[in-house]
Amino acid sequence: MDTKPFASGLSENAVTITRVAYRQWHALDDDLVVGRGHAHHRPDGRLFVSIDAWHDIAFDRLAEVMVAKLPAPLYTVVDEADVELTAGWRRAGFTVRRREWEYAVSTDPRATGLEGVLPPSGVTIVPAGQADEGLLREVDRAIRHEVEATVGWWQSMPAEVLPHTEGDTVVDPTKYAVAAAPGRYLGLIRVVTAIRPRIGLVAVRAGEQRRGIGRALLAHALLTAHRSGFTTAWTEVHESNHAATALFESVGARPMSSNLELVR
Amino acid sequence: MTKNKNVIEVEGRVVECLRSAMFTVELENGHQVLAHISGKIRKNYIKILPEDRVLVELPPYDLTRGRIVFRFRN
Repeated sequence: MDTKPFASGLSENAVTITRVAYRQWHALDDDLVVGRGHAHHRPDGRLFVSIDAWHDIAFDRLAEVMVAKLPAPLYTVVDEADVELTAGWRRAGFTVRRREWEYAVSTDPRATGLEGVLPPSGVTIVPAGQADEGLLREVDRAIRHEVEATVGWWQSMPAEVLPHTEGDTVVDPTKYAVAAAPGRYLGLIRVVTAIRPRIGLVAVRAGEQRRGIGRALLAHALLTAHRSGFTTAWTEVHESNHAATALFESVGARPMSSNLELVR
Repeated sequence: MTKNKNVIEVEGRVVECLRSAMFTVELENGHQVLAHISGKIRKNYIKILPEDRVLVELPPYDLTRGRIVFRFRN
């Protein structure tokens, strides 16, 4: 156990930071847990931290200890509207690395204007659960290589939080619908519905973009959700991804909030 | 309601999403608290909306505040 005492400004008692597990800390005030810190690796290898504390003193102490004990760089995610939390991380030396807009989009084709939208000639949409796994993994790898060759996947593409084996990033093939040409796939869309549909990824091969394939994939995914009884789908778009922003805003998607990824 | 290591956890229902990433949650006993979401929920991009059933952690010294630590599937 690794313990570090501090004098608390809010209490006459000392706030003590205790390492309770390999990457988990508690802030204790008179034996009460007044804060918790946690660190874990994302599938892309980056180390993300979080702190839940009931007052700033505990937050600052936890941040100080975690920053000292963990290898840089460290990342965290905050809702930009959460001014108090964002300020806490800034006090700990974190700065904004990226911003993602969260959108809500109606699934009703009459609202999105996607009624009757079809893929371009020679392209068909294969519904989720029916895609050929080999071709799906092939197009996923190809798209990732194309993005890595330009801006880099983790810098611009959606955050991925589920663990996957090395070299295989398709965690659950049944979540993907694809745009197919004879013998190969041109694009994909991943929709996960735990409680409500969330579009985690929509992407098209570099040489096949600007043909309406992404729009057709989105139309298919939203219509599928609509037929399942969902009125709204959700997604996050990186602020620099102008193509995705234009695609979602063209179907009436509304920005609801923004997430900041901070780094130190 | 569960109590573990000085942490009080209560089930509730999200009544309203407020500005500043806060939520009004009505607890099982009808009491309402002002809650924010935990870092774990935030890191995993779990969306909280009105009518969601959630597990709320209450601080030991202020039962008007809370932290949403889990969202139930139904």
